[in-house]
Amino acid sequence: MKRHLRVDDLARDSRFVRLPLEARFNDPRPQGSRSSSGRSGGRRLTPDRPGAPDGARALMHGIFVGEIQALEGAGRTCYDFDTGAGADDVPFQLKLDMARQCWDEARHCEISVKLSEWMGTEIGEFAESTFLFEAACNPDPVLRLTGVNRALEGLAIDVFNAMRDFGDLAGDPVLEFCEDWMLADEVTHVRMGSDWLRRLTEADPERRQRALEFQSIVDKLFSGGGFRGEEEDSPIRLARRFRQLAGFTDAEIDSISEGSRQARREAEAARQRAAAKAAG
Amino acid sequence: MAKVTVSPEKFNLVFFDAGEIAELVGSAAARIGVDADITVDVDEASALGRARVTSMDPVTLSVQGGAFEDPKRPRHLAPHNVEDVASRLLFRVRDRLDPSFGDPPPDEELTLQQSTAWDAYCLGRAERLGFHPAKPRRLYHFRNRHGFSDVADAAFERLWSADGLTWADLEAVCAETEAGRQAVG
Repeated sequence: MKRHLRVDDLARDSRFVRLPLEARFNDPRPQGSRSSSGRSGGRRLTPDRPGAPDGARALMHGIFVGEIQALEGAGRTCYDFDTGAGADDVPFQLKLDMARQCWDEARHCEISVKLSEWMGTEIGEFAESTFLFEAACNPDPVLRLTGVNRALEGLAIDVFNAMRDFGDLAGDPVLEFCEDWMLADEVTHVRMGSDWLRRLTEADPERRQRALEFQSIVDKLFSGGGFRGEEEDSPIRLARRFRQLAGFTDAEIDSISEGSRQARREAEAARQRAAAKAAG
Repeated sequence: MAKVTVSPEKFNLVFFDAGEIAELVGSAAARIGVDADITVDVDEASALGRARVTSMDPVTLSVQGGAFEDPKRPRHLAPHNVEDVASRLLFRVRDRLDPSFGDPPPDEELTLQQSTAWDAYCLGRAERLGFHPAKPRRLYHFRNRHGFSDVADAAFERLWSADGLTWADLEAVCAETEAGRQAVG
């Protein structure tokens, strides 16, 4: 069986349509007009916004495809590397952790399918972004775990926490309950990433630095131009408490927050350039 | 057939075709029985999805670009979504033009509960006319505004399958679900 699959190798049925990252980043429409923040006005996803139900549906579909890719990524990490102590190898215990994560992600997929049905969403109704699996394609297992388990599963913590609160405020018991259960698992997955980063790079500070730099790039890229941050109008707020439980230091959380602010400024500048170009 | 004018005539930020929108809205108006000139104002700079009737004379539908957009292909037109928005709003127009319906407030003054109740009534009729509204999506909207309860679900089903309602009937449904929410809260 082939090792190290590319995104294009992933199997999907005809319901799914992939959205290239450049299409998302080259959209010239203003940042505040993104549908993921609810379909009507403002950026913060709160139930009192007229378009909040559709915003929540779109966001949860994004989480659903993220769960599929997380399952695929953790599964690949079990298979892509030999067991051993070499630089390209991974310990057997790491594979066990990834196998456990596969179990969790498969359960999250099942939960997400039922949650989608509850929210009136069809599978494949929205485009699929493949950024999670792209981070899971890194050939260095440490960078892979850092990018996926610390950066992207960290983002999942922020989203699940926000959506659990959304479900609570909206009075939607199913959404609130599903998010709460998945959130608990995500904290464990991030913790695994933090632990394996520390253990595998204990004697290799250079590799640790490379892994943290990769995480920083992924974090900034997927702050979604300020979609996730600590600004008052950020659609998804950084979940500090759960990140601390998952092994992030306060300095690391501050750094993610600053990266998000920077990503927001850069995204807005890029959109202004694209809008000026579109207007001729 | 109603004369439909789409603004802007040419889109710069999205790949929409004004002629295609006009044709779809005109066809929906003919099927629903709205015989008035219609203006469709599209805010192409917005990826959000709000759509409202902002004037009755002339009939004006104000639509944020995201409402017409294909969620699988951002910035591209989804004819199905144009029909969905047009059928929902044009049934509202038809109700407003019918003196026996009553006197609802302007769209911008509707509460979220009134708006989703009216949407359910409009889209149920649209479905029976051959349009294809996503009923589960609308049920989720309704539950968000009227409560996640058996009372709200039953009210939604009544609205979806109803014909010949008045504004007072819709207000009565809102009062019924409000009472249910108060009892739970």
